Amino acid sequence: MIVAERKPFEEIKSLLEPYQKVLTVGCGTCVAVCLAGGEKEVGILNAELKIARKLEGKPIETGAITVERQCDMEFLEELDSMVDQYDALLSMACGAGIQFLAERFPEKPVFPAVDTSFIGVNRDVGWYEEKCRACGSCVLGLTAGICPVTMCAKSLFNGPCGGTNKQSCEINVNQPCAWYRIHERLSKQGRLKNIMEIHPPNDWRNQAPRTIIQPGYEERLKAFNGK
Amino acid sequence: MSQPNTTDMQKIETASNVLVLGGGLAGICTAEAIAAQGYPVLLVEPGEAVGLKAESRPLNSYSQSEKDTLNKLVEQVRSSENIEILEKTTLSCATGVAGDYRVWLSGQKPLSEKQVGAIVVASELIRNPLNAAYGLEIGGPVITQTDLEHALASETKKFTGKTVAFVVGFGQSGNPLVMERVLRSALELAQIEGTTVYVYVNDLKVAAEELERLYLKARDNGVLFFKLSQAPVIETQENGISITYSDPVILRDISAQADFLVIEEAMEADSANAHLACLLRLDLGSEGFMQTDNVHRYPVSTNREGIFVVGGSRQVKALDQACMDAENAALQVRRLLGDGTRLAPANKAVLDIGKCTFCLTCYRCCPHGAIYWSTENKPVISLIACQGCGICASECPMDAIQIGEFSDKAIHDQVQKSMANTGKAPNIVAFCCQNSAQEAAQMAADFGIALPEGLHLIQVPCAGKIDLDYILNAFVQGADGVLVMACHPRNCKSEHGNTYARWRVNDAQNRLSKAGLDKARLSFVTLASNMGSEFARIVTEFETWLRDL
Ligand code: SF4
Ligand code: SF4
Ligand code: SF4
Repeated sequence: MIVAERKPFEEIKSLLEPYQKVLTVGCGTCVAVCLAGGEKEVGILNAELKIARKLEGKPIETGAITVERQCDMEFLEELDSMVDQYDALLSMACGAGIQFLAERFPEKPVFPAVDTSFIGVNRDVGWYEEKCRACGSCVLGLTAGICPVTMCAKSLFNGPCGGTNKQSCEINVNQPCAWYRIHERLSKQGRLKNIMEIHPPNDWRNQAPRTIIQPGYEERLKAFNGK
Repeated sequence: MSQPNTTDMQKIETASNVLVLGGGLAGICTAEAIAAQGYPVLLVEPGEAVGLKAESRPLNSYSQSEKDTLNKLVEQVRSSENIEILEKTTLSCATGVAGDYRVWLSGQKPLSEKQVGAIVVASELIRNPLNAAYGLEIGGPVITQTDLEHALASETKKFTGKTVAFVVGFGQSGNPLVMERVLRSALELAQIEGTTVYVYVNDLKVAAEELERLYLKARDNGVLFFKLSQAPVIETQENGISITYSDPVILRDISAQADFLVIEEAMEADSANAHLACLLRLDLGSEGFMQTDNVHRYPVSTNREGIFVVGGSRQVKALDQACMDAENAALQVRRLLGDGTRLAPANKAVLDIGKCTFCLTCYRCCPHGAIYWSTENKPVISLIACQGCGICASECPMDAIQIGEFSDKAIHDQVQKSMANTGKAPNIVAFCCQNSAQEAAQMAADFGIALPEGLHLIQVPCAGKIDLDYILNAFVQGADGVLVMACHPRNCKSEHGNTYARWRVNDAQNRLSKAGLDKARLSFVTLASNMGSEFARIVTEFETWLRDL
């Protein structure tokens, strides 16, 4: 899932400085699961804003709603009848959801309440680890299920750099060397030959805005959306 | 907030059979006691055979008549129609909740799935010779208590005319089970032709009636006891052992010689408990037993409803005490499973699956393991297992769980109402755990102790139900100060409710400071239910402090 972190309160407060009526929009999917932007966090953030603004003598009025997913237009529909009453929207979704919200209500200022951090996994309540950089050309099949793009600080594709340090990465002793781990796991599986061949660099030009049409849906796109 | 009880009750079916894990004597007694209540029992033993062999105490430490009685019991269990015995079998996986556990067993037969209503864990203790505490290696004249018991059963001649010394209580704080074994062996040795028996002991633990008698009998038969405050110095020599100790009466070092030195053994929790606790989602207590110190629970209960622990799973226990545990476990099983149906309040904890985002937070946080993931891949709260603490509800990122009378709306309305018509006095919202602070407050009121005029009590089922947004919203509603009042550390009925409350208060304090409020306006305190005057003192001081601001 996508993992995000609440922005520092000070930053959110200053973004909202000029506004009196703000609708805080939570997202019920990834950011809810990673405890950053679900219904509970919406309530908490609104309470913080009210306390702070009251102390400053500039009370703020807040609305609260949490939609299923801000990255699907249909789920944003339920906001249509509400947004008019507000000066600004504060989204607790990931960057994708925030942009879709801004696209749906182009006349309203939309602000982010979270920093979208990474694609990752959930180790325990409140504890997440980055696992994937969405490179667009996955090599996990070669690397024993350990991502060299994410887990290697230099995103190397062909073994460790000279700084590999007794199982650790040179950037930090607490950061395991991805290539040490890849080697360990491959050798346990008897698949070391996997990494004997040179793997060409990824085509990083793919980082320009990407669009995917799933195979089998090209026709649909043309038929219904192609106008 | 307790209202007249209008709660709907829900009927829940429970499975009637019971899994007993461990076929030592505690397990045997438990199987027997539960079967006697009419519930079919599945008795599972990882070792070769149930009975004396599965015991942590060596066979040889029992007298013949005891062995006979115990073997008879084992036979009874073996022939019981209500008890199925699976030997060389272990638990590989367990899911579900009280009344409906699914367990997977592997062993002689291929992995099989069973449904059981309750589980009783009857682990045995393990013996651990404490030679390292005396700086000695086992071998030659240095033998363990188990070695000795073995030798006494087969080759008593070995000791004729010899001197045998015991050391006990210097490697561990003494306990009756350990002492009993030492006294039995010492007595037996003393009755062999020409032996001399010394027992060097730190703290003579003979609290049980039988032990006292055994001790006197050993003494009368010539066993010499030396009560020392410090371990003797022991050296192994070519022809035996030398023991030197400082005599507390004549204040001189005394040396003695012995042919054998018997090293005490600790009787400890089996290290396998940790794995089992993990499988069963039980809290592991101190020293590796499968139970934490919790004054709110029955002796054999755990943090999970429907999982009970007896004998060596929960404490160092002598046999008679393990049998008592077995009876208790059988009573608990009957209370839980009854005649196959149970009634439970339907609104104890209600999960709105439409709001749920399947984040697993509630499942991971419930201290009672009362939430399970159903085969339809959704969280379900067991109304039998749930204790209504509200920890899950307060952690759920979607506010998808509501607890009986303590719904978010009810609490919010109560806070709002309490703020409506207040005078000049500072407004204090005190969230009080009903198991401690609420009672302390009641006591203060009953004693007629004056309490601050602006004090508003909000009762919660457990401090774990105090949401971060309850705290912040109290300030939004106009509170000048907020108190979060929980049970003392390690005294929470739901194990971690007070800890969650403390974490949330720390979090809320940081948020309040960032919002520009003095974080001391929010305070976390712990109380016991009988601390009425302490409650009054805390709220009064808090009020004074708020007035002075
Ligand atoms: S190689 Fe790494 S970054 Fe690329 S898709 Fe696979 S996991 Fe993601
Ligand atoms: S904590 Fe809430 S959202 Fe998460 S699984 Fe439980 S009920 Fe669903
Ligand atoms: S209320 Fe407490 S016991 Fe019940 S399901 Fe939630 S956390 Fe578990």
